[in-house]
Amino acid sequence: MADRLKGKNAIITGAGSGIGKAVALALAQEGANIVACDLGGATDGTGASKGPADETATECQKIGVKAVGQYGDVSDFKAAEQMIQACVDNFGRIDILCNVAGIDRARMIWNMSEDEWDQVIAVHLKGTFNMSKHACVRMREQRYGRILNTISEAWVGTVGHVNYGAAKGGIASLTYATAWEMGRYGVTCNAICPRAATRMTMGPEVLAGYKKRVESGLWTQERYDEVTHVATADYLAVIPAFLCSDAAAHINGCVFGASGANFSYWAPAHESIIFGRDWDKHGPWTWEEIEKCMPTLLKGYVNPAPPEEKK
Amino acid sequence: MVERLKGRNAVVTGAGRGIGKAIALALAEEGANVVVCDLGVATDGTGADKSPADEVVVECQKFGVKAVAHYGDVSSFKAAEKMVKACVDNFGRIDILCNVAGIDKPRMIWNMSEEEWDMVIAVHLKGTFNLTRHAAPLMREQRYGRIINCVSEAFIGGPSHLNYAAAKGGIATLTYGTARELGRYGVTCNAFIPRAWTRMTADEKVIEGIKKRIAAGLMPQDQLDKMMRELADASYFAPFIAYLASDAAADVNGQIFLTSGTEVGLWSQPQVIRKVPRDWKTEGRWTFEEIEKLVPNKLLVGYVNPAPPQPEEKK
Repeated sequence: MADRLKGKNAIITGAGSGIGKAVALALAQEGANIVACDLGGATDGTGASKGPADETATECQKIGVKAVGQYGDVSDFKAAEQMIQACVDNFGRIDILCNVAGIDRARMIWNMSEDEWDQVIAVHLKGTFNMSKHACVRMREQRYGRILNTISEAWVGTVGHVNYGAAKGGIASLTYATAWEMGRYGVTCNAICPRAATRMTMGPEVLAGYKKRVESGLWTQERYDEVTHVATADYLAVIPAFLCSDAAAHINGCVFGASGANFSYWAPAHESIIFGRDWDKHGPWTWEEIEKCMPTLLKGYVNPAPPEEKK
Repeated sequence: MVERLKGRNAVVTGAGRGIGKAIALALAEEGANVVVCDLGVATDGTGADKSPADEVVVECQKFGVKAVAHYGDVSSFKAAEKMVKACVDNFGRIDILCNVAGIDKPRMIWNMSEEEWDMVIAVHLKGTFNLTRHAAPLMREQRYGRIINCVSEAFIGGPSHLNYAAAKGGIATLTYGTARELGRYGVTCNAFIPRAWTRMTADEKVIEGIKKRIAAGLMPQDQLDKMMRELADASYFAPFIAYLASDAAADVNGQIFLTSGTEVGLWSQPQVIRKVPRDWKTEGRWTFEEIEKLVPNKLLVGYVNPAPPQPEEKK
């Protein structure tokens, strides 16, 4: 056991398997006490079991830190408060919050049900807000805290689960805003876009879906190979551990790509090309003006999904 | 009336006032028939009033187009379906959807209530999904459609209403995803970041708040002057939205534009700008020591903390 997080107390959601579990173990490895939160459901959010959270807690204890399991639903505002409270009750305070819990319910937008939308937004986006809100009250008071959120490359657009993408886009913005609000109080908030082999990315059904994409021409074989040739989450977990340490005190509002094979920095969206004018003098934009601007505005742009002939 | 959108049928949410109204009128001016959707609420989502939607309908009709009002709540999946259906029932089909409806309930995260979070996410993010979800099967079937969403600069940060920021970030990604899913069917989905003089940005309370901040030395007077200078009425940039809704923009898809009376611009997508690769099969796991060095020396060169820690104020 190393001791870069010795004496720190951390709560990790989705800690029963995959990335959450790897993060919990990496923090424990650095000496942090762990509240391992997991409802123990399937990747689509169904079912519940105390086993996964308890197993992670046991593994953390073996490393030599204190650890407890929690089984609440992050999408429930009250349950989130209780999990934060559990960290304070068991260990004295909360220093680190890692929001990893998530589910996926893939569907094209024209077929997506209200329930599929609601559940994914609730677990990812509201779950991250719920935990952050209750943690921030305490972190602001103690003027110390580390919040780490989990987003995804789906943040910049994804086919087949706009619910998941939208939730992740929301979390990215939530990360930026939390960083702005909490930074002055010694609290940082950052996010990672992880890529790892987990049951969500490499389960048998998921792999079958990837193969279908190759067969239908949506993906190339190279894309398939790239997506499936991935290290497990324990290969990337030191990155979140670093972001939760004192060494990262001045890293705030950043998004990092994290996998066994890559460590990267994601720049936020920004204004790129701008046309200015005096509206007082020129009045409303005219169609002709706009048409003249467009080729410059869209220089180098490639339509991500150009129209196709009906088959 | 000009005719670049003649024969097109549009649904515009939040069309009773402000940006939504300006867009509804700009579409009508180009010849589109318009379903004017507005619940008629205050900027915080309270109350209800049919007159804003009704008034915009009358104004649209003056351009010689057909227009009807709808007073449903965009955050209701069923009500959203009815708005899209109202367009089909009244005009025959739906060609254009502009998601503008929104509310604001600012609060710092440590004080934000569950309800303040839920309401803002429901109106902006779920509202945009709801309308899009019901328009998508029809647009896909007819292999034509224009979906235009309203985002905000708040989606890259800034304090005091992270519910609003998160909703807008979600809509930005929903825009990217919808563009990718529907593009092949001749449907585009784009978004705009408006800067305009509306009751949400410049009602008396907002201006009063700004003046207080200036008096407290939290904000320079220059900034208010600049705001006053730059913020034209939304009608100044509404033609840009009409352009995105037209055939001229058939190949513009999945983009976010800045729009105001003084400026139009393009927003880049978030992107990986620095990357350190590793052969994990031979080199194994990243180590803490490596990460600790890579972050300042490689990945975050030039980075500035947006909110560095401040000393505790004496009470």
